[in-house]
Amino acid sequence: MNSQQQIPRNALVWMIISLFTLAAPHVSRLPLWVLAVYGVAALWRSMVYRGLWSFPGRLAKLALILCACAGIYASYGSMQGLEPTVALLLTAFALKLIELARRKDAYVLLFLGYFICISEFLFSQELLIVLYSVLNITLITTALVALHQPAQHRFNGGSLRLAAVMLTQAFPLMLVLFFLFPRIGPLWSVPIKRHTAKTGVSDAMQPGDISHLSQSDEVAFRVKFQGEIPPRSKLYWRGLVFSRLTDGAWRRLKNHEMASNERWPTPITIDDEPLRYSVIINPTQQHWLYSLRYAESEQAGIKATTDYLLYSSVALEEQYRYRAHSWPDAALEPKLSDWRRRTELQLPKASNPRTRQLARDMRAASASDGAFVAAVLAMFTRQPFVYTLQPPRLGSDPMDRFLFQTRRGFCEHYAYAFAVMMRAADVPARVVAGYQGGEINPVNRTVIVHQFDAHAWVEVWLSGRGWVRVDPTAAVSPQRIELGLEQAVATEGSFLADSPLSPLRYRSISWLNSVRLRYDALTYQWQNWVMGFNSDQQYRVLQELLGQLDTSKFILILLGSGTLVLLPVAGSLLARNRIRTLSPLDQAYLTFCDRLSRLGVMRSPGEGPAAFAERAAQALPQWAPLLQRLTEIYCDLTYADADLSVTRRAQLKQEFKLGLRRLKRARQAH
Amino acid sequence: MRVRQEPDVKIGLRYRWQRRFLTWINRRAPPARSVTLDQRRIFIFPSRVGFFFFLCLLVMLLTAINYQNNMSFALTFLLTTLFVIAILHTYANLAGLTVHAVRTKPAFPGQHSEFDIRLERGRQRDHYGLRLAWPESTECVINLVQADSVEVRLHTAVDRRGWYNPGRLLLESTYPLGLLRCWTWVDLNLHALVYPQPLASADLPGLATQHPDGAALPISGSDDFYDLRNYHPGDSLRQLHWKSLAKGQPLQSKQYAAYAERSLWLDWAMFPGVGTEQRLSHLCYWALVFERRRYQYGLRLPDQSINPGMGAQHLEKVLTALALYRGGSPTG
Repeated sequence: MNSQQQIPRNALVWMIISLFTLAAPHVSRLPLWVLAVYGVAALWRSMVYRGLWSFPGRLAKLALILCACAGIYASYGSMQGLEPTVALLLTAFALKLIELARRKDAYVLLFLGYFICISEFLFSQELLIVLYSVLNITLITTALVALHQPAQHRFNGGSLRLAAVMLTQAFPLMLVLFFLFPRIGPLWSVPIKRHTAKTGVSDAMQPGDISHLSQSDEVAFRVKFQGEIPPRSKLYWRGLVFSRLTDGAWRRLKNHEMASNERWPTPITIDDEPLRYSVIINPTQQHWLYSLRYAESEQAGIKATTDYLLYSSVALEEQYRYRAHSWPDAALEPKLSDWRRRTELQLPKASNPRTRQLARDMRAASASDGAFVAAVLAMFTRQPFVYTLQPPRLGSDPMDRFLFQTRRGFCEHYAYAFAVMMRAADVPARVVAGYQGGEINPVNRTVIVHQFDAHAWVEVWLSGRGWVRVDPTAAVSPQRIELGLEQAVATEGSFLADSPLSPLRYRSISWLNSVRLRYDALTYQWQNWVMGFNSDQQYRVLQELLGQLDTSKFILILLGSGTLVLLPVAGSLLARNRIRTLSPLDQAYLTFCDRLSRLGVMRSPGEGPAAFAERAAQALPQWAPLLQRLTEIYCDLTYADADLSVTRRAQLKQEFKLGLRRLKRARQAH
Repeated sequence: MRVRQEPDVKIGLRYRWQRRFLTWINRRAPPARSVTLDQRRIFIFPSRVGFFFFLCLLVMLLTAINYQNNMSFALTFLLTTLFVIAILHTYANLAGLTVHAVRTKPAFPGQHSEFDIRLERGRQRDHYGLRLAWPESTECVINLVQADSVEVRLHTAVDRRGWYNPGRLLLESTYPLGLLRCWTWVDLNLHALVYPQPLASADLPGLATQHPDGAALPISGSDDFYDLRNYHPGDSLRQLHWKSLAKGQPLQSKQYAAYAERSLWLDWAMFPGVGTEQRLSHLCYWALVFERRRYQYGLRLPDQSINPGMGAQHLEKVLTALALYRGGSPTG
């Protein structure tokens, strides 16, 4: 093996470091045995380096590869999808390290490392992950640099410095490319995340679902309002409407379950100014979008449904941004069709008999539907109902048990019970699921809606008013609506009980909270400008900056920015202080020789100053005194250094300089 | 016949291209004992790894497009511009270096000539992974770190007497990322002397009765007259015995006696009837033998003579004369 092919130990160390830093963010998605492979790989390779073990043989390698594939298949149940692919990449990275013998292998390993960085972005593009990936990329580049520093066997940071410098120099041009590169649609369909659990509100609701969701402190979406933010008690983010109650669960109406003439929303007349806002929603793997009622969006890819919801035509695999406008006071569906009325009154026969009976009795005692609604709400307020994150389990006839026995429930229990009672008394009603409230970030005036803001409430159809929002939870626990979940369950101490490290639990520590909010504001900007940067935004930004767009402008910008960046880099690299081999005095003497050579007298190599002066004086007798004098000065300054005072030295130098000038003129006269 | 012509044309074309390249590069970078590398001499092109890297970038770009993933775009572009930045860094790793020809060590055919080269940096920066090689020599990879210059030694197998021209020195580097290869061909005007192949002969004529106490040997070149013998072609004009010619006798040349302990003459004429190269080889052999035995010896060639002497310097002088006889090997 020649010396060029060997891998310096320094590079090997950097590679092993990047091996672990690369795998770290993937840990939660990987089966444990892959981590074991990492440990073994690092150990094996360092043992090979120390000469204790040997490289794996051909057969061993084959066995390792087959085992890895089988392991991944066993762990994920398939080889398709993003997660198994990434797990395979990571395992390949570790296995490649074991057989890392030549520089060629190292290239494969390191380029694989860059791929692993990219694969991390497919799961998350959060600011922290990106910063961490910058570290990873720096480490890989460092290893790449160290690979080309032969004979550097002591671990050192020189290559790290160069890698950091090069990446910094590459950064500005990367920005230019990032903004200019045309964003075209996907060329073909790619494996998607199959194994990630769908987060957020799901398309069916059973008692316990939302209280379960409320254990999560993840951000569901962030909203930026144009103008004032409405009071939080008005912030009901509608996501899904559940009109069907079957098997103890509320479900939404599927398209095929609707009568064909019911598939389009009935138009609504509105004339006042809407609330305008934009939402950045984190991936849900679902289609529904959250909006205030009554919402419209002009964005392509967003449909409106019959129950006045916004619906994305593709599942949200990536973070998604949409603009919408709402008229919160608009009357929804003032006229109810027969089919719609039937649907919204449907109740499974023979379930919850006591609840139905109670509803019928209360309706009979009320003057109108509106009075009936108020009476049921008053019942929730008056009777000892408890709003809790830890509701007891309910068996069959859940609402009977809930209303008459346990009386402890979360929002979905109250909404469920309320809707059942309404329907039992022939008042059309449905459950709406979504989020309520949100945290207002004072830093950038965005509303942060967390998963624990998930909520369910009821819409009741009252003649003349259309669908009216009724929130039975507000009757039980007004704090939930006014202040949020944390205050509502404060006495219980159950807020985010499962995530003791969540920064949201420490909102009372003001500096920590202010850091969290600042970071959240940054995240919003990041999501808005970087992660969400798409062709629309690109077009808008470029047109704003450059006016009309054309190819020649693009090329001009690329070339211009390239020159702007590369020139200083080249300058810093090539104009580095030259090593001076000659003193200024020697240089002056060389100028002297040069002048004489132009007058026809060349100093031959090895000819001393005195000998040269003599020869030159013979050749150019008219200049003889000057030549002798200058040579004398040079010799004095060079060899009699110590005997001369500073002023004398300066004088002599000056004289030498004047003499040179005379010689120059002599050349012109010549 | 046609079939045979084609490769000829090909070879001719290739030869012409090589010739053209050589004249071009000679004009661009003329031979010199020290060469400072600048943009006129440095070439740069993506290496094979660089092309592999391009392929990886393409796959990354496709990933970014298909997943509509902005950070993947960013990383792909970062690596793309890293490549562009690497062009400058790779270039800077060679630029400003000065290559000095230092010395060569003469060798016998079949041995290795040594070429000493000194690399000197022109800027205060470290240079890594500099690979040096002549087309036929060993190679050497060095760093120039925390030092202003470094000396390297390369070896080349040589086989013909005379000046050996190793051709142009290749100096290349792929530092720092290996994605680009930066190289230069410098002609250092550095030639190695190759001595004739020593070839033992049957005993040197007249040396057969070698007496350690110093017998007179019929070796031409000494001062003491010894004998006359019939003229052989190749005998020096000064040796001719004109008197005998005047007497009408056949042309004779004078033989002088030399004493082994005093000085011996290695003479071109000692090996009559032998070809030039073989003759030089024999002379070379005997010069080495005499040097080893610590005799005084001189050399007389048709076009020059070296007075008797001994010691390493003298031997070198003698061997050099032999090596360069008539400008070196006729086929070389």
